Amino acid sequence: MKVKLWGTRGSIPSPGPETIRYGGNTSCVGVTLSDGSMLALDAGTGIRSLGLALATEPARLHILLTHLHLDHIQGLVFFAPAFRAQTEIVIWGPASPEASLRDRIARYISAPLSPVEVRELPCDVSFRHCPEAEWEIGPARIRAASVAHRGPTLGYRIDDGPSSLAYIPDHEPALGADLDALDEEWISGLGLARDASLLIHDGQYTDAEYPDHIGWGHASLSHAISFARRAGAHRTLLFHHDPMHSDEQLDALGEEAGRRWRELGGEPGAIGLAVERSEHELPVRAPAAAS
Amino acid sequence: MTQKPLELILARNLMSALSTPAFLVDEGGVLVFYNEAAGALLGKRFEELGTVGPDQWGSLFGPFDERGEPIPYDELPLVVAVRNGRPAHADFEISSADGVRHRVEASAFPILTAHGSQGAIAVFWPAGSSNGTGA
Repeated sequence: MKVKLWGTRGSIPSPGPETIRYGGNTSCVGVTLSDGSMLALDAGTGIRSLGLALATEPARLHILLTHLHLDHIQGLVFFAPAFRAQTEIVIWGPASPEASLRDRIARYISAPLSPVEVRELPCDVSFRHCPEAEWEIGPARIRAASVAHRGPTLGYRIDDGPSSLAYIPDHEPALGADLDALDEEWISGLGLARDASLLIHDGQYTDAEYPDHIGWGHASLSHAISFARRAGAHRTLLFHHDPMHSDEQLDALGEEAGRRWRELGGEPGAIGLAVERSEHELPVRAPAAAS
Repeated sequence: MTQKPLELILARNLMSALSTPAFLVDEGGVLVFYNEAAGALLGKRFEELGTVGPDQWGSLFGPFDERGEPIPYDELPLVVAVRNGRPAHADFEISSADGVRHRVEASAFPILTAHGSQGAIAVFWPAGSSNGTGA
């Protein structure tokens, strides 16, 4: 399984010289499965570049949406394959008692917010609510589960042979909870992340920022570290960077994350910050022994 | 490890922060949590008791009707809520671990999700109290 990060920013695109290294595009992760088939996790503004980079047009493409906040769907109407008749796109997302997935997405892909309507997209697009049970896409087994965020929100786990990816980009697992004290079954999202080869997890706030953002649906650095430790993920990338965080601030956050991880006995280098356009091959190879 | 449904996780987190006695059962009627205020009422903390099956938790603390007779399990508000998917209310007596009887009012409501019922919550008020803390 190969993973490429096309958008790592949270909340709102934040391009500019101060975010050029970690990136300013919002959430999108491209996943190439072992048989070459392609998934996109979320459709923030990063999906535009993913679409442009597809050298050969896949006949079928799956987009797995965690939720429908704008920073996770804004790139849909700028995704080039959606404008080609030969492409079949299946969009998966959370169910809601209020309206179908198609109708909720159509609120964005419609006037006055969009120049095109869903029905006008040339591709063959379909919308599916994620089932409770695991399902298959190509060689991969996919699992979705509700996680603590604002509104119906999913996290995903993708297992493909020996590789497993857990993707929980918007997550406040410590809302009203002590992550270090609770039994695992009572921690939001932990079942998805358990022993994952790679965990991509919300790390939006510093510990100093979090008290002013309780209930906003995102994790502090401490919470993300605790969650990753409890999950036993082999490698963790902190994701959904706050739009106010510059590259320099994120450098400092990454250094602090690594230091605290090592202090807790974690493998050096097993936690880091998500960088736009970075690529990761799974399963993660064990670090070479020090000579 | 089987992950609890998010709705139960959030319910437990909320209940943990409340001073109102509150009980949480899963879709199978298993008592999966009660908070510190409920523990004070029962005379036993949840951590001491652990999860309790649906055929057992009713008998742990009664409940009893106004004549002192045990109330049938099927008529308890939590059971009505989880089985029938509708709210229920009752007042009755419960017996705490030290044998003291407390008259309470209980309101239960189901936890319904896009995937159906995930359980139910019941909150207890000391009968005659103006708020759930009994203060």
